[in-house]
Amino acid sequence: MKRVFGVALGILTAIGGFVDIGDLVANALVGARFGLTLAWATVLGVIGICVFAEMSGRVAAVAGRPTFDLVRERLGPRIGLANLAASLLVTLLTFSAEIGGVALALELATSVNYLLWVPVAGLAAWLVMWRVRFSVLENTAGLLGLTLVIFGVALWRLNPDWPQLLNQGISPGNPPGEGLPTYFYYAIALFGAAMTPYEVFFFSSGGVEERWTRKDVVTSRVNVFVGFPLGGLLSLAVAGCAAVVLLPQGITVDTLGQVGLPVAVAVGKLGLAVAILGFVAATFGAALETGLSCGYSVAQYFGWQWGKYVRPREAARFHLVVLVCLIVAVGTVLTTIDPITITEYSLVFSAVALPLTYLPILVIANDPDYLGARVNGRVANLFGTLFLVVILVASVAAIPPMLATRAGQ
Amino acid sequence: MTTVDIYLQLLDRQVLDRDGRLVCKVDDLELQPGPDGVPVVTAILVGPRALGPRLGGRPGRWMNALASRLAATPGDDPPRIPFGAVTAVHSAVDVDRTRDELAVDPLEGWVERHIIGRLPGSGHAGG
Amino acid sequence: MRAGELLGRPVFDHTGRRIGLVADLRCVQEAGPHSSWGVLRLDALVVTERRVTPRLGYGRHQRSPALLRGVLRGLPGQLVVVPWSAVASWSAEGIRLTDSAGG
Repeated sequence: MKRVFGVALGILTAIGGFVDIGDLVANALVGARFGLTLAWATVLGVIGICVFAEMSGRVAAVAGRPTFDLVRERLGPRIGLANLAASLLVTLLTFSAEIGGVALALELATSVNYLLWVPVAGLAAWLVMWRVRFSVLENTAGLLGLTLVIFGVALWRLNPDWPQLLNQGISPGNPPGEGLPTYFYYAIALFGAAMTPYEVFFFSSGGVEERWTRKDVVTSRVNVFVGFPLGGLLSLAVAGCAAVVLLPQGITVDTLGQVGLPVAVAVGKLGLAVAILGFVAATFGAALETGLSCGYSVAQYFGWQWGKYVRPREAARFHLVVLVCLIVAVGTVLTTIDPITITEYSLVFSAVALPLTYLPILVIANDPDYLGARVNGRVANLFGTLFLVVILVASVAAIPPMLATRAGQ
Repeated sequence: MTTVDIYLQLLDRQVLDRDGRLVCKVDDLELQPGPDGVPVVTAILVGPRALGPRLGGRPGRWMNALASRLAATPGDDPPRIPFGAVTAVHSAVDVDRTRDELAVDPLEGWVERHIIGRLPGSGHAGG
Repeated sequence: MRAGELLGRPVFDHTGRRIGLVADLRCVQEAGPHSSWGVLRLDALVVTERRVTPRLGYGRHQRSPALLRGVLRGLPGQLVVVPWSAVASWSAEGIRLTDSAGG
């Protein structure tokens, strides 16, 4: 019974933890401009993250080694360091964006300027990362993030023309008035938002934090194959709401408030309150995941003791990295750079970080030294290889449309 | 006869102490001529002064310079773990000592004493 | 000497012809003192002209996805195992072999 509960909890946290500020904004923005014609990019990204999260979870459970151990071990110190620099930049930029997202959500709730909330959000995130048990941290953030289900409720209440919406979803192509480069820029942005490397850093390190063993491969798989796709559905609900309410009115999404607008229209004030709670929870949860992931990746590259399963003083440098990253993240948001713009530009560094993170995972998932009999089967290898090619193409292809469209302007 | 390819199977792996704590990476290995003149692996070399030369280029030089400045002992010799202390090699390398006995990482202790250990709650049990 | 100093070094035969770079050091594992994992004695150099590391799936004991394996197999250059006894001298410039080594 306890096991069933554990698995259920894992699924729920995976759903709630899947959506972050980048997903929220990108999906709403895309829904308002392109309808559901880019749904395929989100679906592709969700499948991709499932493929690699499953492998990294299996390696963490069977061999006890988290993702950045694999990066250093397979790519060597030099290319490993290049990946560390790129991933750390992406994760740190995302961390800033999440802190900014928490502050923006609190501004929505209180009408107090978000800049005043930034230090509060930063301090709260640090206190949780410093003191709260890992399992409590993970579950609370994930469960609160589930309040975003309100977007599903809203879409249902809006009672859209379902066949037409579905038709949009299965017929890709840029709608009239939108250029093809812009369309592809957002396709890559959505794909990248779903496949951001911190998800595997956090997922595999979390497995080690929770002392997964061989027996937990099943738990890991259920979390990945049930939780992540349901989280992806939440993303699609956000896009769907925007497509139904904002697209016909010609409203574009520049602020977090506009992301929640369709919920207010469909469910009213109480619904909006739930949505805002969801924003706070999802972005705060993601702030914790990205903040810890900064520490995980640096400590794992250098071989330092890391993790919340030991006393903080026993993982001194890990906690120092987390603290320094937090200060940088808070400082970045306080410069009044738009947190939402930050997420868009971090895509450039993803171009380096994504292939260099997922390639070593794929290779080690084939290494019997690590996994014994639990190495990849044909299906995992087929999907792994396929997605590695997609990632490579997307990484290279991301740069020209980004420059041509000035990040989708 | 068992053979081991040390780049493939040993270098860059995680070192674990007797209690399963994370100690360091196998940043480099020291080889010394045995009685018959054939080199034998004598130690795991640890830290920036071991990793820096392997990195090469500018990052390597920076790492070396930083390490020499911070190091308690002058010179280019990195801290080492005698290879005889290794009890197993799998996805990590097990060593028959505790992290404190090995004392290969003075910077960790410095950060603990001067920064992290001073924050309230630093001794709070993990979980 | 450090392993890192040998890895990546160019290897030349006795006529000065370049064979490739040191990709790995193959050691024989011998019984060591009680409870220790053993003694590693350097036995041979694994030499190749390939720039891609053997860690990505063409090293020993390793499997890799079919496509990746195909790409790696198609790389130019082959793996040559040179016994350590065939090394005449080594310096920063490279490793020189005796004429008995069939490079």
